[in-house]
Amino acid sequence: MKNPLAIAAAAALLAAPAHAADKLHLYNWNNYIAPETVKRFEALCKCEVVQTYYSDNEELLAKLAAGAKGYDVLVPTANVVQPLIKGGQLKPLDKAQLPNLKNVDPAYMNTPFDPGNQYSAPYAMSTTILGYNDEKMKELGLPTDTWAVIFDPKYLEKVKGRVTVLDSSSELFAAALKYLGYSANDTDPKHWDEAAALIKKAKPYWAAFNASSYIKELTVGNIWLVHGYSNDIFQANLDAQAAGRKFHILQGVPKEGAVLAVDNMVIHKAAPRPDLALKFINFMLDGKNSAELTNLIGSGNPNLDAQQYIKPELLKYPAIFPPKALQAKLEQLQDLTPAQRRLRNKLWTEIKASK
Amino acid sequence: MRRRSPWLCACALAAYAFLYIPLVIVVVYSFNDSRLNAEWVGFTLDWYRKLFQNDEMLTAAGNSLLIGLTASVVSTVLGTMAGMAMYRYKLRLLPLLVLTPIAIPEILMGVSLLIFFVMLNITLGLVSVALAHIAFCIGFVAIVVRARLAGMDESLVEAARDCGASPWQTFRYVTLPLIMPGVIAGALMAFTLSIDDFVITFFTAGAGTVTLPLQIYSMIKIAVTPEVNAVSTLLMLLTLLLIVVASRLSPNLLRSDQETAP
Repeated sequence: MKNPLAIAAAAALLAAPAHAADKLHLYNWNNYIAPETVKRFEALCKCEVVQTYYSDNEELLAKLAAGAKGYDVLVPTANVVQPLIKGGQLKPLDKAQLPNLKNVDPAYMNTPFDPGNQYSAPYAMSTTILGYNDEKMKELGLPTDTWAVIFDPKYLEKVKGRVTVLDSSSELFAAALKYLGYSANDTDPKHWDEAAALIKKAKPYWAAFNASSYIKELTVGNIWLVHGYSNDIFQANLDAQAAGRKFHILQGVPKEGAVLAVDNMVIHKAAPRPDLALKFINFMLDGKNSAELTNLIGSGNPNLDAQQYIKPELLKYPAIFPPKALQAKLEQLQDLTPAQRRLRNKLWTEIKASK
Repeated sequence: MRRRSPWLCACALAAYAFLYIPLVIVVVYSFNDSRLNAEWVGFTLDWYRKLFQNDEMLTAAGNSLLIGLTASVVSTVLGTMAGMAMYRYKLRLLPLLVLTPIAIPEILMGVSLLIFFVMLNITLGLVSVALAHIAFCIGFVAIVVRARLAGMDESLVEAARDCGASPWQTFRYVTLPLIMPGVIAGALMAFTLSIDDFVITFFTAGAGTVTLPLQIYSMIKIAVTPEVNAVSTLLMLLTLLLIVVASRLSPNLLRSDQETAP
């Protein structure tokens, strides 16, 4: 009984120095890669994956802008890839080393953020949609396929105090603009005023602007309807089932369209191991590996090859593999100019201060 | 004895409740048999078991302890020297230099330290984080030590010198024992500041260096699990233990008042 352990320990000790130099430094979101995927990659490349985490794109930008290095692969959201490219922070991808890039749905390639995908390869994504308590919404006879349900007082009256929206000016304005029939990236000040008026009118009916605890509130049953991220809504349902609730937390995709956020793998310009970085990116573009993340956290998946490896029960979530008709209505948010940002902040402050 | 006003009691009670109820809730839910921090389901030690199998969390906790101990020891020595210097020589510039790090916004300090380390080509890691923590802890220790010195009876030092003690002996056998409560309080303060610092650590930590606050913060986006409650409970226990040990070592250590002297 003891011997094999001792041998294994000795082998590990002996093997350690040889592996010590081979490390891939991944700067990632927390819980954004399946542990078994990491293990398989480590076995494949005979290296160690060292992860460090950030919880906000701005954190990543600030840290790299100040000159931090030592990271190989980063996983920023598309609209942050753009400033990273402009800031000369990224190394172009050698596509000859990325045969699996062909697995990615063309709908998510060649975006304005990185034309021709010179620097970035899609990793996973989320959409900003409706999440709801199926029992309650059915009982109240409310629709779950339109932004009207969080903006129109006609519906809101029935769920007053049971609705939360994201505490994010860009996400909430995008939803309001979509509801009004404009693009989420519309920058016409008149349209923004309309959106602000719409939000102010709906605000008294909302329980809160909430960006972090709505998963829990949904699960507990305090909140019945949220404007939130698809991954969070998925998590809320898992938690609700695990806690033995009778209701489900479902995803509702508004027919007016929604915001899409695609996270991309990029290589830092000062990457100590660009060779391992490319190997890792190609590995993650493999359908099986990509599917493991979706199976774990219910993230949207831009990889067509992953579809066959997804747990069948996940296919009912529209946000995981958005169908073609929906894809056309999803928009990725673009950055605002400083002048637009000032106007947006002013409107947002007015909204927050309004009664 | 003065009669205690019921109002005063009520206010004190409310203040203590405000301080301690959140902590109690964290501890209670670390034993809850549910992933949600929402309702009591049943007692379990599962989260502690999971915690001790979670390598990432343990590494982070180990790093935090190592950095906290290093930072508190080094900054206590340097901070005590700085505090004495500020007290002894009434220099105008010195307090400014020592105390500025307390006043500057943390984010500014974090970013400037990061730029500084990058400029010097220091690889970001445990060492850079420890250096940064020492830098911001010195000021706190110095303040506490100086306050203690200000309350010290100067004639004791003079008496020691009159009796023929060397400057070192005077320091070792008279000054240091008298300011010890301040020094230990400073060290405890440095340790707690270091172990829960997020902003400065975030900027000065390199690839692969994770401390407990960084680890917990990055989990917030994806709903905090009771493992975080468990690790917080253990940290609280550790802090409590430190305070108990410190107060055992020197019973009036945590009292800053001088009036107790007859």
